Amino acid sequence: MQMSEKLVLALPKGRILGEVMPLVNKAGIIPEAAFDDPKSRQLEFKTNIDNLTIIRVRAFDAATFVAFGAAQIGVVGNDVLQEFGYDDLYAPLDLNIGHCRLSLAMPVDADEVDPKEWSHIRVATKYPNLTRCYYASRGVQAECIKLNGAMELAPSLGLCNRIVDLVSTGSTLKANNLKEVEVLTDITSRLVISRPAFKTRPKEINYWIDRFKEALKDA
Amino acid sequence: MTGPFKKMTGNAYARQALLPGGFRDVLAPAADYEYSAVRQLLKVFGHYGYDRVSPPLVEYEDSLLTGPGSTHANQMFRLMDTDTQKVMAVRADMTVQMSRLAATRLQNAPRPLRLAYAGNVLRVKGSQLRPARQFMQVGFELIGSDALEAELEVIKIAVEALESVGIRDLSIDLTVAPFIRELLTAFDLEGDDLAQTVSALSAKDAHGFDALPDKAATIFSALISAAGSAREALSVIEGLTLPKKTGTLIKRVRSLVDAIEESMPSVAVTFDPSETHGFEYKTGIGFAIFARGSNTELGRGGRYHVDHPDIDAEEATGFSVYMDTLMSALPAPKSGKKLFIPVATPAEMVKRLHSDGWRTIQGLTETADASKEARRLLCSHIYLNGSIQPLD
Repeated sequence: MQMSEKLVLALPKGRILGEVMPLVNKAGIIPEAAFDDPKSRQLEFKTNIDNLTIIRVRAFDAATFVAFGAAQIGVVGNDVLQEFGYDDLYAPLDLNIGHCRLSLAMPVDADEVDPKEWSHIRVATKYPNLTRCYYASRGVQAECIKLNGAMELAPSLGLCNRIVDLVSTGSTLKANNLKEVEVLTDITSRLVISRPAFKTRPKEINYWIDRFKEALKDA
Repeated sequence: MTGPFKKMTGNAYARQALLPGGFRDVLAPAADYEYSAVRQLLKVFGHYGYDRVSPPLVEYEDSLLTGPGSTHANQMFRLMDTDTQKVMAVRADMTVQMSRLAATRLQNAPRPLRLAYAGNVLRVKGSQLRPARQFMQVGFELIGSDALEAELEVIKIAVEALESVGIRDLSIDLTVAPFIRELLTAFDLEGDDLAQTVSALSAKDAHGFDALPDKAATIFSALISAAGSAREALSVIEGLTLPKKTGTLIKRVRSLVDAIEESMPSVAVTFDPSETHGFEYKTGIGFAIFARGSNTELGRGGRYHVDHPDIDAEEATGFSVYMDTLMSALPAPKSGKKLFIPVATPAEMVKRLHSDGWRTIQGLTETADASKEARRLLCSHIYLNGSIQPLD
């Protein structure tokens, strides 16, 4: 197989990275030592595969790198895929890791009101597009406040009356006096592929998809 | 202003003269480079008898929304014609205009009709991936033939044209949107199942068919993993038990792949039977052209119908590229050579230099150091003492 051109694998930093590395290793990709060194400032890492390098970026950015063709393969949660709705991405494999859900939450002591009667609502979220779509399908105009973290603070301080955020156990919500009202979407991490790379290097890309498929079977 | 004082650089006019998002000035040498690429593409189309036509930038809205035009409905700028009080729209795509010409003014022209075009199109909104709102579309259409040779001719000319502007290592991805439509109908998919299947197909998600009956699930996942080299994909598909109607489409793809491989051996051919995205209006084989090493699709085309007001729809096939994407796949332009000519160089001499292919910069006033002046004006050569001397 021809493996000459550079191939870049974009992995998300943080929580998911610990879960995805066993799969990456099982697929036969071992990054250089600096990858596991927390002090290293390096962002791009060589691997045991000559033409393959790994980049470590924020979860939202992994999708962007692949969508622009700057990276050819990536690992991205379907929350990010749905938020961006990029056309030039394929998501052929559910990696069955990074399980959580994107949920709507509200203060425990607030009145239950049928949101259908509202003409507009203010929501704090990292996912303005998904949130707007969710409310639009219920006929409500959502005014989204984009926050990048600590969403749970927003209702109690009067910033908004609902939040849409990632929930895994629900303990953060509870600790902040919030309750989960509805699940917008269940989330797992997906293997994503850039469309032009898939079209111009089908053999090589399919080879790596198959390696990840096998790694999943063994997991 | 709130917050700490922010030091602004530049003058007020520079800020005022900023362009709206998605629009840009193209300067030298890029502007000329793009123009010559457009001319080169049209020249190749012209060699094969495609006549250039140039429809207007603005039409009545309903005319631009006919047939496939409706896909661009939310991308068009609208304006009011104060004269007729009708809504006009700025074209967001030129193939719609070719269909209109074929169905109206050129209805009686002999078939097959061969048209070529180049012009700017305007879009209301760019995306993060494709921010440009104004760009040039260049293409050609072959209208009035349903022969396989028509597809082959279009692909051949598209490849020759792209190679002639300097694109290398081309790869053609074939698609058949109606094949998937037939399958979805054959399996009677409706409601959530249909939506889920369509989205799984466009994501190439092999696990997205779990809710379907076994037979359908097996076929759809086989189609997804078949995408790749055309020969291998075809042999996978020919091994499946498919509804009868779809067989003719696949046969056509096989004949086309054979023909492309025979006439264009250097071009890689891939086939993606599950691809539908952006090919919704294609009524037969569609294709997208990529180049190894370039991050985007360079151009696309395929078979569609030209709707006629009175008679049956007409078979057509065509191809178009967006120049901004094409230019980004080409090496950066180099500034051409320029020759500085001091004042009082005889006019006949200048003419002779022009006919030798030189671009000249005429000195307008007497200067003490002509070479210095030539360098200041970014010239590469100077005409001094009756000879051309290079400047470094």
